[in-house]
Amino acid sequence: MAIKETAEEEAVVSTRRTVRPRTRIWPLSALVYLYRNAGKSIPLVMVIMLAVLLETGVIALIDSIPFSIRMTYQYTQEMLGVSPRGDPTGTDRLLRDIQAHSPVPLERVMHCRVSNAQVESIVGHWPFVVLGLGQDDMRYYLRRLHTTQIEGRLPAPGAAEAIISEPVAKNLKLHIYDPSEPHKLREQSILLGPDKTDDYSPMPVKVVGIADTDQWLMINSIEYQRSNHFPPVDLGLVFAKNLKDQDKLGHWAEKHFQGKKALIFAHYMLEKQTKEMFNTLFSILDVVIFTLALVITFMMGMLMNIYQSQRLVEFGLLQAIGYTRSQMLWKVFAETAIVIFLGWMLGVAVAQGLLMVADRVLMQPHAFALQSFDQRAFNYALPLPVAILTVAAITVWWRFRRFDPVAIVERRLV
Amino acid sequence: MTEALPEPGGVINSLSASLEYHDQGKTVFACQDISLEVHPNEFLGILGPSGSGKSSLLYLLSGLKKPSHGDVLFEGSSLKRLSDDDRSRLRLREFGFVFQQPYLLGYLSAFENVRIASTSSHGDRHAFELLDRLGMGQKTHRRPHELSGGERQRVCVARALIGRPKVIFADEPTASLDHKNGIAVVSLLNRHREGGALIMVTHDESMLAEADRIVHLRDGRLV
Repeated sequence: MAIKETAEEEAVVSTRRTVRPRTRIWPLSALVYLYRNAGKSIPLVMVIMLAVLLETGVIALIDSIPFSIRMTYQYTQEMLGVSPRGDPTGTDRLLRDIQAHSPVPLERVMHCRVSNAQVESIVGHWPFVVLGLGQDDMRYYLRRLHTTQIEGRLPAPGAAEAIISEPVAKNLKLHIYDPSEPHKLREQSILLGPDKTDDYSPMPVKVVGIADTDQWLMINSIEYQRSNHFPPVDLGLVFAKNLKDQDKLGHWAEKHFQGKKALIFAHYMLEKQTKEMFNTLFSILDVVIFTLALVITFMMGMLMNIYQSQRLVEFGLLQAIGYTRSQMLWKVFAETAIVIFLGWMLGVAVAQGLLMVADRVLMQPHAFALQSFDQRAFNYALPLPVAILTVAAITVWWRFRRFDPVAIVERRLV
Repeated sequence: MTEALPEPGGVINSLSASLEYHDQGKTVFACQDISLEVHPNEFLGILGPSGSGKSSLLYLLSGLKKPSHGDVLFEGSSLKRLSDDDRSRLRLREFGFVFQQPYLLGYLSAFENVRIASTSSHGDRHAFELLDRLGMGQKTHRRPHELSGGERQRVCVARALIGRPKVIFADEPTASLDHKNGIAVVSLLNRHREGGALIMVTHDESMLAEADRIVHLRDGRLV
């Protein structure tokens, strides 16, 4: 760093002759002060860094909950679900209705039977659907959900078998069933079973395939579902020809089936419900973060003020020998701005680093979703440096307003 | 009808300048009705006992304080009419200061402490030469806490001289030094002022042995 090359470092005293010092950086520049007073400036930088880290970390972690919901149920973007109400035989009728009146071209409709399982999340268990599909539908569904390849195979018709995707395998720590494995390890390849309260099936449903896709899915055969799961829950799945039409189809279906005996599952509804669910939480969070920012701002403003108060002799001397009030204000402002900027940058960098580590170590092994660069979290941290700088500038300006250098040189104030 | 100001001959002219302050509702004069002319190249000593208003007079003459009444002129221009910032700029450009205490910025070296008082592009060379002439050539890189009291005051002298000021104001510069060091500092100031006027206030007459003229101050008035 160039500061090293100021006069002090350059003035090498030899036994014969003194080397003439030179100033490459003006001695009164903000950088020289901060560098030479690192013992005071570094703690201030650290406090701001911790404040930014705290604020960013809290927001990013809370944001990870709705983000996880979106990631886990992202597959709903690809289809419209429709289920009959009060008439378990009505699924085909609903599907025919959609095919006849759909406002967008359809690629495929399928009739499936479903049961429930659960996945893990950062805030506990979430329900997840196990789709019972026919073999052709199974292949289509996997392709539609961007499966590039399958490890293992598809569940056989009527067999107590299932295929899951990689995120589900990670989340539930499941692997493909291998009869040669010891019993304990084989237990870790059972998706549903008679002894699983939340993931019940009368027979142990083994994982026989893992689909290579980012989407979350659990599929078994429709024949197995029909033979083993009661009461029957039938679901019609409707796939638009163009993915961009899927949303339009969802909105249309909700309107079309309003007041009729049908339950609609569309992606936009999930988005809407998620937003509504977290609106209150985020409103509370806004208040908490605002209060935190306020406390940190005033605390830092006061710290900056105390920090500058310790330098009254310096300011008095400089003003007495001829530096103007605005020159000193600018010097203090520049020093404060550098401290705050460094603190903020460090806070953002450390937050980013820690969130990446948390994502890698804590979240990814469970397929939990966390955005290590969460734009919203960093946006929340932006007003912090601005507020601290404003409060510090105002308090210092207020102090300088009636500052009398004579009081310093006469030692009335020191 | 306007009355023309008398043409001043001095570098500093005090025209019936007074400095008053208010203490518990009472008006107290730190200096009263001071008329004084300081000539270029003159060493003027202002002598007076403690509390006689010496420092206040120095602050008036240097523009650090504005007179409550009367005026102070620098080369014929009123200091009273200048804004705070203009007076600050004038001080940096035309005046040099040595205070009672050897105030230096702790995070700067001796050289840098001198350098900050000059806006000249030759400031580096001049700062070094001054420190060398004042016997500090080997200690230019030292921080104030590595210097003795006498050495610190020499650095202050160098800082006061670096801008080749037209007037140097010294406010009891020997107060924090022993007699020998005090005499040495005054002598250095006097020898190296390069044609600038030197105004020094003190209560110790022996420090004014080299003064061209001495005025006495008592209870805020020249006597």
